[in-house]
Amino acid sequence: MALIALLAAPNFIDTLLLKFFSEQTVNYVIWPFIQVGAVVTITAGWVAYATYLERKISAFIQARLGPMRVGPWGLLQPIADGLKLLVKEDFIPENADRWVFFVAPYIAVVAAFVVMAVVPFGPDWAVITDVNIGVLFVLAVSSVGVLALILAGWSSNSKYALLGALRSSAQMVSYEVSMGLAIIGALMFGRTLSLSGIVGAQASDSIWFLLYQPVGFVIFLISGIAENNRAPFDLPEAESELVAGFHTEYSGFRWSLFFMAEYAAMVVVTAVATTLYLGGWYFPFVYRLTEAKGYHNAYVVVSLIVFLAKAGLLLYLYFWLRWTLPRFRYDQLMDLGWKWMLPAALINIVVSAIGVGTLQGLDGWHGMDTIRSVTSGLGLTPTGKVIAIAFGVANLFLTAGILSLINWRSRDFNLKKQRSKIRLVDLPKGKPAVAPVAVSEP
Amino acid sequence: MPLVPVPKPTLTQKLKRFFMVDLLKGLGLTLRFNLGALTSSDSVAGKGIYTEQYPKVRPDVAPRFHGAPRLNMDPETHDTLCIACNLCALACPEDCIDVIPMDVEVVVAGKPRRKKVLDEFIFDTSRCMFCALCQEACPTYCLELTQDFELATYSRAGFVWNREMLEQGRETVKYES
Repeated sequence: MALIALLAAPNFIDTLLLKFFSEQTVNYVIWPFIQVGAVVTITAGWVAYATYLERKISAFIQARLGPMRVGPWGLLQPIADGLKLLVKEDFIPENADRWVFFVAPYIAVVAAFVVMAVVPFGPDWAVITDVNIGVLFVLAVSSVGVLALILAGWSSNSKYALLGALRSSAQMVSYEVSMGLAIIGALMFGRTLSLSGIVGAQASDSIWFLLYQPVGFVIFLISGIAENNRAPFDLPEAESELVAGFHTEYSGFRWSLFFMAEYAAMVVVTAVATTLYLGGWYFPFVYRLTEAKGYHNAYVVVSLIVFLAKAGLLLYLYFWLRWTLPRFRYDQLMDLGWKWMLPAALINIVVSAIGVGTLQGLDGWHGMDTIRSVTSGLGLTPTGKVIAIAFGVANLFLTAGILSLINWRSRDFNLKKQRSKIRLVDLPKGKPAVAPVAVSEP
Repeated sequence: MPLVPVPKPTLTQKLKRFFMVDLLKGLGLTLRFNLGALTSSDSVAGKGIYTEQYPKVRPDVAPRFHGAPRLNMDPETHDTLCIACNLCALACPEDCIDVIPMDVEVVVAGKPRRKKVLDEFIFDTSRCMFCALCQEACPTYCLELTQDFELATYSRAGFVWNREMLEQGRETVKYES
């Protein structure tokens, strides 16, 4: 009954609103407000329960139970946490820059939430606005979060907060470069910057861009995780728990805003990765079973559930990685960002371009059809798809080779060179443990 | 200074390093723990959850666990089994038992006799080390250490138990799950 009500509700509300307002107002003012309200509520709820899921999943991985007392199975734990944070004392450091201190958490939260406006949760009314330059918008707005970090660190008037903020923002900026470049590979197959268009391209081809761009997906995910200061890249956060960090002087509600911004940014990265690489809200047979039979709202709701399930899987990956891997050291982190992720992303672009060029060149050669139509994405025939997937796999090995070549002599401050020979030293006496043996240096 | 050569990584090792094989094995391990925690309930690592949700679930203790003391009663006559022989107080290394006897008049075979019975039994659980020497010493199996381990009280005086408490035991609070 509730499902039928949910599916019938939009039509009912539409007719009700049309009685009071003009059609233009309803379509361009009221419905967007309702959509915004729904998306913000859903995202905030998702964020709150992401904290709960993190605690439960980390507990299960560690063979324990996690929160169990607050509600049935601990489900009301986020509410208890929220209430606790609300009633904590809110103090501001003595010589802190008051207005900047106030505004920094809000910038972080807004930067994370605004991106949800262009993410396509579903086909028709499940996207608030489908901007033509969706990808660019996402990259630009999520970069604003870095500003919040720096403002928070600066305004706290604490050297440790400032240094933590600068470290954290340097890390985020380095990985944003490779994140943006990794997206370009998917764009070559999607041929549009609009996120709904990219999902449409994957839908019309019945393919996931993951298959064409495994390297791009991996680079995007790794860069996204580093963007969010999460999982193995959380040295700024972890050290800050020991020393200080950009949110050290924040307490209570303001700290919870930073916390929410971090989880919302996680949700954003998983949503964008789902849209670009995992086919967004598309799932085979859904269209045939619902829309083609006339159940339009059911189509949208089922697609919404598909999208949330895919994004949920990537979110599980976030938690899984956090509780499996030890942390990167900061120099290892920056090394990875600039010397491995960035060249890999550039190689990905070159190889994808060669792949698309090959597909376009092979079209019609000796009767081999690779491209069906370029109206929605790079419509490929099965032959074309096989060739594209082959390029994707070859890309993996090629990237492996070229990255090794680039980093041949320059890894870990030449530890490789040191590692090929180990000197034995008798530490207490400061003398060599055995008599020197004449071995020729390389 | 001696130079010890380290073998260079083979191609397989390099490929394993690039494709993060060890990482994937580690991820598989944590996934196995995660799924094991969700699916099975016996608490062995990798196959379940260790947590014992006290106080909803009390831990299992051994049958011969040395817990709270109890004075047993005769099941038929509902009289105490204690004969006030004071052996438990003598056996106790901590001196935490105090047996106070009294004389009562009984008629045995038509003649009035005086019989020693138990008047009051004081047991200080704060001093008790639960060695069960008193349990071993009791000739009538009256004094027994049960499996109750929740002995906390709100005051020092609450640790000193009298005969009534020892016979009836203490009530444990039940938490609904």
